[in-house]
Amino acid sequence: MKNMRTALLFFLVAMVSLSVSAQNVTVKGTVTDKTGETVIGASVVEKGNTSNGTITDIDGNFTLSVPSNATLVFSYVGMTTQEVSVKGQKTINVVLADDAQALEEVVVIGYGSVKRKDLTGSVATVNSDVLAAVPVASATEALTGKMAGVQITTTEGSPDAEMKIRVRGGGSISQSNDPLFIVDGFPVESISDIPASDIEDMTVLKDASSTAIYGSRGANGVILVTTKSGKEGKVNVSYNAYYSWKKIAKTLDVLGAKDYAKWQYELALLKDSPESYEKYFGTYQDMDMYDNIASNDWQDLTFGRTGNTFNHNLSITGGSEKIRYAFSYNHMNDKAIMEGSSFKRDNFSLKLNTKPSKATTLDFSIRYSDTDIKGGGANDASTTSDTDRRLKYSVIYTPIPLSNLDSSAGSADEDLGNLYHPLTAISDNDRLKERKTLNMAGSFGWEIFKNFKVKTEFGYDDYRNNDQRFWGTTTYYIKNTPASENQGHPAIRLTNTFRHKFRNTNTVSYDFAKLLKNDDHHLNLMLGHEWVITKSKELTNEVHGFPDWITAEQAWKLTNINGTTPYNIQNYLNPDDKLLSYFGRVNYDYQSKYLLSATFRADGSSKFGETNRWGYFPSAAVAWRVSSEPFMESTKSWLDDLKLRFSYGTAGNNNIPAGQLVQSYTSNVTSWINGYNSYWAPSKTMANPDLKWETTITRNLGLDFTVLNGKLNGSIEAYLNTTKDLLIEFPVSGTGYDTQYRNMGKTQNKGIEATINWTVIDKKNFGLSFSANIGFNKNEIKDLGIMNDFGEDSYWASSEIGYDYWIAKGGSVGKMYGYRSDGRYEVSDFEGYDATSKKWILKEGVTDCSSVVGTLRPGMMKLKDLSGDNTVSTDYADREIIGDANPLHTGGFSINARAYGFDLSANFNWSYGNDVYNANKIEFTQTGKYQYRNMITDMADGKRWTNLNADGTICNDPAQLAAMNANTTMWSPYTQRMVFSDWAIEDASFLRLNTLTLGYTLPKALTKKAFIQNLRFYVTAYNVFCLTSYSGYDPEVSTMRRTNLTPGVDYSAYPKSRQFVVGVNLNF
Amino acid sequence: MKRIFYISLLSLSLAGTIASCDLEAPSQSSMDASLIFSNYSMAEAAVMGIHQSFGETNSYRGRFLPYYGINSDIEWINGMDAAKVNDGGKYDLCTFNASASNSQMNTDNNAYAKFFEGIERANKAIEGIRNYGNVATQPDMAQLLGEALTLRAVLYLDLIKGWGDVPARFEPITSETMYLSRTDRDVIYKQLLADLLEAENYVSWPNATTITSSTERVSKAFVKGLRARIALYAGGYSQRADGIRLSNDAELSQTAMYTIARDECLSIINQGCNTLGEFKDNFTKLCKDITVAGGESLWEIPFSAGRGRVLYTFGVKHNEKDQYTQQAQGGVNGPLPYLFYDYDVEDVRRDITCVPYDWSKESTSKQQLRSLKNWCFGKLRYEWMDRIVTSTNDDGVNWQYMRLADVYLMAAEAINQLDGPTNAAQYLKPILDRALPAAKVTAYMSKATASKDTFFDAIVEQRAFEFAGESLRKADLIRWNLLKTKLDEAKNKMKQLARREGAYADLPEKLYFQTAEDGETLTIYGLNHGETDEEGLAMGYESNTTWISTEKLPDELIEVLYLQNPDEHQVWPIWQTFIDNSNGTLTND
Repeated sequence: MKNMRTALLFFLVAMVSLSVSAQNVTVKGTVTDKTGETVIGASVVEKGNTSNGTITDIDGNFTLSVPSNATLVFSYVGMTTQEVSVKGQKTINVVLADDAQALEEVVVIGYGSVKRKDLTGSVATVNSDVLAAVPVASATEALTGKMAGVQITTTEGSPDAEMKIRVRGGGSISQSNDPLFIVDGFPVESISDIPASDIEDMTVLKDASSTAIYGSRGANGVILVTTKSGKEGKVNVSYNAYYSWKKIAKTLDVLGAKDYAKWQYELALLKDSPESYEKYFGTYQDMDMYDNIASNDWQDLTFGRTGNTFNHNLSITGGSEKIRYAFSYNHMNDKAIMEGSSFKRDNFSLKLNTKPSKATTLDFSIRYSDTDIKGGGANDASTTSDTDRRLKYSVIYTPIPLSNLDSSAGSADEDLGNLYHPLTAISDNDRLKERKTLNMAGSFGWEIFKNFKVKTEFGYDDYRNNDQRFWGTTTYYIKNTPASENQGHPAIRLTNTFRHKFRNTNTVSYDFAKLLKNDDHHLNLMLGHEWVITKSKELTNEVHGFPDWITAEQAWKLTNINGTTPYNIQNYLNPDDKLLSYFGRVNYDYQSKYLLSATFRADGSSKFGETNRWGYFPSAAVAWRVSSEPFMESTKSWLDDLKLRFSYGTAGNNNIPAGQLVQSYTSNVTSWINGYNSYWAPSKTMANPDLKWETTITRNLGLDFTVLNGKLNGSIEAYLNTTKDLLIEFPVSGTGYDTQYRNMGKTQNKGIEATINWTVIDKKNFGLSFSANIGFNKNEIKDLGIMNDFGEDSYWASSEIGYDYWIAKGGSVGKMYGYRSDGRYEVSDFEGYDATSKKWILKEGVTDCSSVVGTLRPGMMKLKDLSGDNTVSTDYADREIIGDANPLHTGGFSINARAYGFDLSANFNWSYGNDVYNANKIEFTQTGKYQYRNMITDMADGKRWTNLNADGTICNDPAQLAAMNANTTMWSPYTQRMVFSDWAIEDASFLRLNTLTLGYTLPKALTKKAFIQNLRFYVTAYNVFCLTSYSGYDPEVSTMRRTNLTPGVDYSAYPKSRQFVVGVNLNF
Repeated sequence: MKRIFYISLLSLSLAGTIASCDLEAPSQSSMDASLIFSNYSMAEAAVMGIHQSFGETNSYRGRFLPYYGINSDIEWINGMDAAKVNDGGKYDLCTFNASASNSQMNTDNNAYAKFFEGIERANKAIEGIRNYGNVATQPDMAQLLGEALTLRAVLYLDLIKGWGDVPARFEPITSETMYLSRTDRDVIYKQLLADLLEAENYVSWPNATTITSSTERVSKAFVKGLRARIALYAGGYSQRADGIRLSNDAELSQTAMYTIARDECLSIINQGCNTLGEFKDNFTKLCKDITVAGGESLWEIPFSAGRGRVLYTFGVKHNEKDQYTQQAQGGVNGPLPYLFYDYDVEDVRRDITCVPYDWSKESTSKQQLRSLKNWCFGKLRYEWMDRIVTSTNDDGVNWQYMRLADVYLMAAEAINQLDGPTNAAQYLKPILDRALPAAKVTAYMSKATASKDTFFDAIVEQRAFEFAGESLRKADLIRWNLLKTKLDEAKNKMKQLARREGAYADLPEKLYFQTAEDGETLTIYGLNHGETDEEGLAMGYESNTTWISTEKLPDELIEVLYLQNPDEHQVWPIWQTFIDNSNGTLTND
């Protein structure tokens, strides 16, 4: 028995010792969030033995076998990690708290990441939650109105329209102010080909302390895009789809048939050529035949169709500790509102993150995008030769068929394009762009010893753009560019652009934690090297002399049919663009209370000569977490975090075309010289071997706060950016060249930004949150080198208007320049009518505008005399700054609410204080040299001045004329040219409800039976309303983009649409 | 172990990458001067680059040819309205009233800039051919060098005519020579005379080589003719900072310059490569794009069929696309109203130079009367062309820069000054011989050769009759210091014409006209001296209209022939944009 007891004891001891070393308990439990909702996919891992872990299932349940004395680590993205000791318990239920303060959130910064609480620079982030809620076509679109100081302008309504992104105004004058785009570490030209659904988060670096690590190209801000990676755990399959309908958001009312005919009659009389009316319209006496005639609504026929978009994407993510993967496919098909215009995009991406061993990582990613943009909608107005306009004909084309009127009618025309059938104009300007980008990247990381990491990354980016352009028989191009024997016959241009970019980046980083052996001090260091080479070429083929019956589709395929002549075959290889860089960063903090980060980057660019090749861009930032100070103890109850930041740094810019150092000869095509079809000449841009880096110095002061238990957070920032040694395409005409790139001048941007996020309610079944941002920016040109000012023309009316923008020291880019309107000439401005000379005699002292508006008679447009000589002339003496395209402030706000499975989100954005240059209004209300054009109803009968007696003669009787016009308000549309006055300047301020979404997520209890994790249906409306006083199509517009100097012109832009979407999000 | 191997491999490849990081990135789709100028066909294409600058939108093509020289005692811009002449634009340009901010010219791509662009291209070509072209052994390369030197001289001559003293650039621009102030025209003239003397050694006589068989390429006859023309300008009067005067430079004395002009012209005439044909033939050939060398034409700006605004500006106006042209243009400029009536009734040049009609606004158009104040030049006509112009903006007819008649008249003028009228007469006579009946030639010649002065007057008169509409007159008047005198004379003549007084007293008030049987030609009675309204009415023509009256040619319009004293505004100001771009080196003061 004793033996037995001994044996038993031994057994027990053995049992105990066994359980200490190996005996496990099976722990079960449920993970929920604080609203009581179960957390699916939360990770549960044994502390110290990460190989032992699991994730919670669809009900938030887990089962894990662990030693009974183990500690479990519960974690989930966006929630605070929690550790619980098992202590023999068999059931452990955990409530994970939301990481609502987001202070622990990791923010991607250049070549690394940092916790938000440790940020010292000015960084704004949009994460996938925000992106997922509302479906948008591209990453850029998703940013609209979301970040303070980041202004996004959708220049037109066409699919693939250029989106102008300005971070804090932009410092350059003639050069692009686009920020640097980095996707997963790789610098790319554009982010418009990345579907929003693939994006994990987007970060905008705004001040130099953040951007300086990108040195050379960071001056206009940096946008970092991180695409989604696989997550450890269960396979996650998600499918999202939506379908949308869209209609043109606004049309302009035009004159009806009768009024149109009546005005054409008056115009013909004023032009002293009644036959030009009778030939097409019949006699005046027969005008009543137009009384009840139906008008063609060309705007409806051109832009009136219901467009629709189908978009769906499938993504599969998942992985284990060793390997994580993310696969995504996205397809979008967009039939646009304009006849013949469509857009199609396919995206494919695969991302693998592997961990071959404990200390190494090996990552690989590939992204492919294929975009087709079809139809005249692909034309933009960025070059002067593309002045064949799509919208204008739909407004001013004759509303009734006139038997004899063909394209030869109207007056001879220098550059504006004649009056063409709107649908013919579209098919005659057909275009197909096929854009393919392939991006591959691989990286290898190795923690050689504790806290010492090396990483090497290789990337390859391949861009191909096949641009096929067709010019039909009504275009300006075919009437003027081809050699005379091919004039008047269709022509095409095929432009193939190839661009390859190769990148290699190597970084080492070390965290000094071990050496310091002190929890109060944190120090880490990163050093790196980067090499980026870009090779590009453009193959252009122009073929002239197609038979007149050919269509665009045929011409693009049948380039060799008889009769055609190759005009220009140019395979232009650009000089390589090489960039070699060394950079480093030190982060130090004391108790996370005093933070310091310093970066330094040296960039060598092949765009600059030997002596100026290297640019050095240092920066530093300090931050003080005031809330961590002992004296703030009393505020702990409501103040979670308060941080004051200051940064100072420099960033560079080499945003000029490569090859500006040496004046070499290029071969050019010509059709101007008899017997020669090409010639050699030096570039019209004069070389400048002395070019150097443009440098932006930014100073940023910021205050971040989080209060009320993370429910309210925000930041306020002020900045002052000065850009010196501006790279300007400097006008040097008169010397032998047109321009020369130079470092000259200085600009300044200063501003204030504020962001606030407020979670009003956050309960299990309902919640409400609100966020808003606002940015004020003021741009000023401090210096223009040897110049004081210069003019720039937007060229929408060819050369008729001349300079309509003025760039001057003390001003800013975007100042519109023109006449001041003075209403119209009244009968009382004249002595009377002289029947012998058939002229109205102007009273002494009344300003004479005849050289601008044409021979004077009552009702003519009148302009203010600014030079004081009592006349208004076509030189620039009577013009001044009349408008400004720069807003006082821009911003956005959004409201998100949810209740019992429903979610609602509304996103607004606004711009305040800027002007729009309504060139449409000028062209649609003035005749210039032209006849037979229709007008908008601003000039309807009864509003416009009329000179027409009831008997069909021109009234020259002063009393009668005055009486006839007692109730009219507008001047006579009759002008000898297009006149730009402040009448065409309108307030472009707007507030837009950009998107409004209502979604419903089916209860999990229901869906989980079908093994569906999440199922949400939603409806979204885009461009729901736009509050504005603007009379044109849309105040958010910028059509004339030939240079950066003429922003804010609304001329024949592709109109925007209103869109309604239904969609589904499905997660397995 | 495997991993270490892997990483070493990686590091090696990295090291390789870093080592290969050179930052040189030469241009690729381009060539060096050494390659271009050592090969004839490429060097030729570089010389054509100079012509490209001629054809630029606002260069010769759209600005200099239409507006320079259209303000003389025989030429003006049509369609002026006395009240609107002060327009800051094209009318100001042609009425001695241009301001530096002129809306037609004050653009950075103006002729002024494009001429300097052409000069830069010429400078680079000259330098390139001299360095790499083996001129001594390759005659074709020598020809190109001569062409480049000559085209540069053409551009400089027109710069001086247009803007007076301009920066002298005879070497490719460097950052040191980026900004230059105005150079005294004497310096430039001397360089041009020397350049052309050199060029004479390089280029061939017309038809001596394949290259010079075309009037679109520079021949020795043109080089010499141009050198004569430059000599006459250099030795003549012009407005300078201190007023109108001759050059003070002894090298540019009148005698020296007349000598150059005489010798060069005689050299051309004696060489006999070019011959004077019928007066009209020269212009029909020009309209028909016939560029065979050896005729009257010495050199033409070689606009392709789709470029240039020659007929567009100087042609007989067509109001609509019709049977002769798909471009409804012409008649922008025209002769002064009195000019037609100053020709001898039998002078064949009269009806070719001055046309009182245009083509009606119909797709099958016919001639219709214009008005007394809006004559068309008739030397260039769509209806004489062999092809139909289709471009909306350009007609493609060459601009004839110099023709043999000019050489004869320059010779006559220079010899008269140096040796007197007796020796000079033989060079004036051929010009008259083809214009007038023999008896009238004899009478005219005997009057002209009476003295040096009468001969000079005859030259002044004949250059007007011969070259009206060819934009030579203004520069001639300036070098003779007759600009204001002759403009005032022209005003007076127009006033007399409008009132049918003096020399115009024997003209009828009305014109009597009808369309001829061919359905398009206008038959007109009443244009000739001695014709009367009585007889006109009796002709029984379908229509008549008042042609001459002070309403048809009002005094206000006559007065705007010049808005400012032409002798104080002989040249245009340098446009404001170039002043602004000049880093303070250029002014109009």
